[in-house]
Amino acid sequence: MRLPTWLSQHLAALRALLVLTVLLGLAYPLAFVAIGHLPGLSHKANGSMVTVGSTLIGQSFTDADGNPVPKYFQSRPSAAGDGYDPTSTAASNLGPESVVDTAGAKSLLTQVCERSLAIGRLENVDGSRPYCTADGVGAVLAVFHRDGLTGPITRVVSVNQTGTPFLATYHGVTVEPAKNDTDYVAEGGVITPIRGDAPAKPVVPPDAVTAGGSGLDPDISPAYANLQAPRIARERGLPLARVHELIEEHTDGRALGFLGEPAVNVLELNLALDAQ
Amino acid sequence: MTMLADRPAVQSTPVKSGMLDPHQLWRSLPGAVRKLDPRLMWRNPVMFIVEAGSVFTTVLAVADPSVLAWIVTVWLWLTVVFANLAEAVAEGRGKAQAATLRAAKQDTVAHLRDGREIPATELQQGDVVVVEAGQVIPGDGDVVEGIASVDESAITGESAPVIRESGGDRSAVTGGTRVLSDRIVVRITQKPGESFVDRMIALVEGANRQKTPNEIALNILLAALTIIFLLSVVTLQPLAIFSKAYQAAAPDTIAIDAHGVTGIVLVSLIVCLIPTTIGALLSAIGIAGMDRLVQRNVLAMSGRAVEAAGDVSTLLLDKTGTITLGNRQAAEFVPVDGVSAAELADAAQLSSLADETPEGRSIVVLAKNEFGLREREPGLMTGATFVPFTAQTRMSGVDLGTRQIRKGAAAAVIKWVGRSSDEVAEIVDGISASGGTPLVVAEKDRVLGVIHLKDVVKEGMRARFDEMRRMGIRTVMITGDNPRTAAAIAAEAGVDDFLAEATPEDKLALIKKEQEGGRLVAMTGDGTNDAPALAQADVGVAMNTGTSAAKEAGNMVDLDSDPTKLIEIVEIGKQLLITRGALTTFSIANDIAKYFAIIPAIFAAVYPGLDALNVMRLHSPGSAILSAVIFNALVIVALIPLALRGVRYRPSSASALLRRNLWVYGLGGVIVPFLGIKLIDLLIQFIPGI
Amino acid sequence: MAGWLFVITLVLAVAAVYRPLGDYLHRVVSGRRSNVVERGIYRLVGVDPEAEQSWGVYARSVLAFSAVSILFLYLFLRVQDKLWLSLGFDGVPTHIAWNTAVSFVTNTNWQAYSGESTMGHLAQMAGLAVQNFVSAAVGIAVAVALIRGFAARKTKTLGNFWVDLTRITLRVLLPICVLATLVFMVGGVVQNLSGGADVTTLTGATQHITGGPVASQEAIKELGTNGGGFYNTNSAHPFENPTTWTNWVQLFLILCIPFAMPRVFGRMVGQNRQGYAIVAVMSVLALASIALTVGFEVHAGGTVPQAVGAAMEGKEVRFGVPDSATFGAVTTLTSTGAVNSFLDSYTSFGGMMPMVNMMLGEVAPGGVGAGLYGLLILATITVFVAGLMVGRTPEYVGKKIGAREMKLASLYFLVTPAIVLIGTAAAFATGHNATALNAGPHGLSEVLYAFTSAGNNNGSAFAGITVNTPWWDTALGLAMLLGRFLPIILVLALAGSLARQRPVPESEGTLPTHQPLFVGLVVGVTIVLVALTFLPALALGPIAEGLS
Repeated sequence: MRLPTWLSQHLAALRALLVLTVLLGLAYPLAFVAIGHLPGLSHKANGSMVTVGSTLIGQSFTDADGNPVPKYFQSRPSAAGDGYDPTSTAASNLGPESVVDTAGAKSLLTQVCERSLAIGRLENVDGSRPYCTADGVGAVLAVFHRDGLTGPITRVVSVNQTGTPFLATYHGVTVEPAKNDTDYVAEGGVITPIRGDAPAKPVVPPDAVTAGGSGLDPDISPAYANLQAPRIARERGLPLARVHELIEEHTDGRALGFLGEPAVNVLELNLALDAQ
Repeated sequence: MTMLADRPAVQSTPVKSGMLDPHQLWRSLPGAVRKLDPRLMWRNPVMFIVEAGSVFTTVLAVADPSVLAWIVTVWLWLTVVFANLAEAVAEGRGKAQAATLRAAKQDTVAHLRDGREIPATELQQGDVVVVEAGQVIPGDGDVVEGIASVDESAITGESAPVIRESGGDRSAVTGGTRVLSDRIVVRITQKPGESFVDRMIALVEGANRQKTPNEIALNILLAALTIIFLLSVVTLQPLAIFSKAYQAAAPDTIAIDAHGVTGIVLVSLIVCLIPTTIGALLSAIGIAGMDRLVQRNVLAMSGRAVEAAGDVSTLLLDKTGTITLGNRQAAEFVPVDGVSAAELADAAQLSSLADETPEGRSIVVLAKNEFGLREREPGLMTGATFVPFTAQTRMSGVDLGTRQIRKGAAAAVIKWVGRSSDEVAEIVDGISASGGTPLVVAEKDRVLGVIHLKDVVKEGMRARFDEMRRMGIRTVMITGDNPRTAAAIAAEAGVDDFLAEATPEDKLALIKKEQEGGRLVAMTGDGTNDAPALAQADVGVAMNTGTSAAKEAGNMVDLDSDPTKLIEIVEIGKQLLITRGALTTFSIANDIAKYFAIIPAIFAAVYPGLDALNVMRLHSPGSAILSAVIFNALVIVALIPLALRGVRYRPSSASALLRRNLWVYGLGGVIVPFLGIKLIDLLIQFIPGI
Repeated sequence: MAGWLFVITLVLAVAAVYRPLGDYLHRVVSGRRSNVVERGIYRLVGVDPEAEQSWGVYARSVLAFSAVSILFLYLFLRVQDKLWLSLGFDGVPTHIAWNTAVSFVTNTNWQAYSGESTMGHLAQMAGLAVQNFVSAAVGIAVAVALIRGFAARKTKTLGNFWVDLTRITLRVLLPICVLATLVFMVGGVVQNLSGGADVTTLTGATQHITGGPVASQEAIKELGTNGGGFYNTNSAHPFENPTTWTNWVQLFLILCIPFAMPRVFGRMVGQNRQGYAIVAVMSVLALASIALTVGFEVHAGGTVPQAVGAAMEGKEVRFGVPDSATFGAVTTLTSTGAVNSFLDSYTSFGGMMPMVNMMLGEVAPGGVGAGLYGLLILATITVFVAGLMVGRTPEYVGKKIGAREMKLASLYFLVTPAIVLIGTAAAFATGHNATALNAGPHGLSEVLYAFTSAGNNNGSAFAGITVNTPWWDTALGLAMLLGRFLPIILVLALAGSLARQRPVPESEGTLPTHQPLFVGLVVGVTIVLVALTFLPALALGPIAEGLS
């Protein structure tokens, strides 16, 4: 019996798929799993594990309440689960103009401001940033004009603050604090971030106030490590120079001198500290 | 057909066409308005969309009148009318020609050989008619009996009468032409209503115009672009509604409100983006291309043939009449055995006085020019008996009393003299080797010398062929000469190749061979034995003087019967394609500026930052949109002359052509609308309500 | 500076393999001899490797194989809980299984799921990764069939799909993947069958370190321009892309085949310079795009990047801004869609660039195979307009571009924009844009990005938007399906149409398609057509956001 062409064609397709699945889907990966057991490769193939985790996977150095443990270098903020959760890797995915807090979620700007302020306090440095209020939220106004987008200003609201606004007046109009659960854009306000007078290059480095891509970023920038160095020295009673030395030792320069950016592996650095 | 008076000379002239008469635009207006009928518009998808948009904005303007709505509506309608105008003008020029042709066709009575008289329109194929001096030939056919001089000016515009005779390659006559002298019997070869003049009328009127392959392909591209822009504008609406709703502060404007972009503006945007410029002019370009051929007295039986002409990569040219002047000419007198050149010239002239062939005349003239020998009237010479050329003797001459002078083919004359010398043989061979024809002159028993007859290559042919080569066209000379002669002339004329001792079969085989290699071949022909080759060639131009069979076989007829025309036909074909390509490029490039006008005009009201895109600093959203719409309409009118005339074409390589046209129409297409829209904006910003 | 060196070394490396890899690919697809393994496969599959297929049969074979693949993968995912190595995960829900099956078969690798919390190891390696191989091979096969159409002299056949599929997989993809897997394992990419292990961190918390056959999958994910990550965060995840140099290797793998395909084209049509012209078009577009993306990201415009002082949100410290931006550009210039940093958090214009890259039709250099055939279509359209401008019926490498060719090329050109625009409009018209994470223009960008990515079979995302809802899974699945197979059918039909033609010899009157002028023209046409199609939508998304 001859099968109709279309059917035999699909059967051939199925046979082809099955053959290729055995070859590419089983033989090929399993062969490499086997190769992964070879000495020299097995450590890496199994995740570069050390007793307290993986040197490739970042972790939080916080206590049970989420507060930083001061004797450890701190990792970057993480959007993976509750932070550094490898079963739920993620980035924040908030856009560059995510500046208005809503009832359910803080804007990216406010998160950045908050983190900067907190780190400033922790490290005893100036935590101020452009577009951030002194109380650590996004410095953003909703400006109402008589004719919508133009005309005289009739009303100004500081959308991320329910308390005292960061500005008393804006173009002569008194700035109101925001009420909870009010969408000022929908009410006709024009969102206007206010730059403020913070330095363009804040003391707290960029990687310290932003979440990485994986939520498992094992590294921090040398700048952020150096910012933390005095605290570590103080907490551990180590000379500051020694801490800097350790940072230096655990900084991976750019591979071949031009690939990527210099990075400090936080877990390795903290392990090295504990070993002191 | 007086319009055809301005015919180009044989020499190369850049392809050009008559100027556009502004009155013509006005006269074509009613026709343009009639074409608004949607059943006709449907054939042009781009303009159909514009018309549909115009109807839509009209409804909107009536329902919710505003200055902007009405002005936009008016200009959208004008856009459609302008497009129709282009087509109407192109057709109008053909109509004028058709009218002249019709006049030639009226009320002819056919006198059948059996004595009956019937109206010419009822003639059947195979009918035999008698035409006397002063009568109009009632239909196309072949002369089967007699010889007559015929005035063909009604068809060709050429006032000099031509000879038509039975048999041979000058037997074809065309209906509508007038017999001036004598009487001929003609067998009708046309079917009723399908005469040459009928076809010509249909052709120049643009009736039943079939779209050509490239035109179809271009139409597909334009349709695709239209769909894309339609999609991109229509799908914009939900995004616009979302954006407007998000930015609650944004006030409603004439361009956008809570329901999204307003209908008027949406239609304006669509019309500005779809390729209206080329869409409007495409059919005019095609009609005008045919028209340009007609103005050169070439009738193309299909637009496809015209387009194929542009693609031709091999030109087969008959040597005689195309590459060389019709006939050989005396170039030199070579005396022998101590005879002086003047003596030889005198004898040669005497022997040629009664020789009315071009060769004979050229001998008389050469003798006069070189030795001051006055031409003597044969009739005034007493005692002179002229011996005419016959195929048997292969010589001619004169007997002057006892003097017997003969000239002719070397072998024949030497045989007549009875003896020869090595010197003579040497000269004769030398001339033959150089591609010339030796004519030996002898008096009684001694050879005086040899006349060197030469094919004279027309002036400017070499340059012309170089040009062809740059255009990527290979020229092949076809000749009945032997290979040696052919090679010499080919080298002198600068053709790429030659086919010597060519038979019709050889020609056909050559064409097939070229086509096998993927080349398109063009040729001219007039004889019945050319018919198979003409039919096989991609572009076969039959001479109007040729036989009916040849004219049937070719896909073009040259009314001037000028074989050099082929070169011009190729240029016209190319020009047609270039015009389409250039205006398409221009049309698409225009969109960039229109975007910069319209996008900020609509959306800066929602997101003020987008005003940065308003690089032309147009006055207001209304004036910006209107300026774009007006520019879009006016550019069509502005380009009608170009569409009819065709873009300037100079034969050159493809890269050079592309570079030039890209600069002019690509870059021009980007820049011109920026200037144009800004200029219009400066003017219309004063209209109240904009 | 280091960022530029990163790009320059990539360029040099890709240029270095252009000829050898292209020539090798050419040998693979033109060779007649089969080896033992291949003959065994043909026998098992039951096809005659000598039988030449017309375009219709070739297309039906592609469609049959893909249809069977979708069905097989769908069922596989649905029942994965009953199979080995499921790690205790449930069967994948219907709409996600459908979306994922389509996504991997169409070489899109859009991920509506999170790898580490949805897929067992068997589903990953025997389900998803197999499609990574074969969908890439299908793309190359279709491109080769199109080239055969250009190179053919009056034939009806385009080769044999089963032979092409087998050879490309076994002789090209697999060997390179074997090498790449080893390299990645040396770099620290994991390769095991572990279900993961709980560890106690330095501060006493518990962390579940995941495992998996990642390295073997990572290799084909990049080489086949697939992009589907083993983990949710794709190449940002340290287990997928642990070091700065594995990052470089990934980009090299992504770029090597798409950039070598023009060489195959040049070789097969007998004019290597035609290949160079195509590769020049790809390079100009790619370098411009990379430069712009990196420029925008380094410049860090916008409120949050200004507040931060760098566009570091969503980027890993080890890669830094320039290399991350390069990765983002390269994976969208190709149809890879892998990410090592999160595009949703890019600056407005930096984030617009990946979108524009896809909107270009992913032709610079595009997906394996798909990029070449996309660019050849654009070149065909360019040849048509330019060819008219030189006064001849347009022809490309000796083949006339007539009405039928134009119809197919125009339809091809229409398909993807239509899918993207209609899909985006439909999402807004039906309110499904509401699942976007960000508000206003950025929210619009997220929706536009989703359909752009699906329609162009890229797979990357402005990942803030929630798309694992039935509507989104269905709509994007359709977008991927149509965006893959309609163009393939059109390309094969075009190949058939070209193959039937007798080639026209080149002359002075022929439009030269290997000169800089033509290269510039194709670049121009590509940019202008895309700009004209998508500018209105972009104006309301990233442009409005960036100019605020």
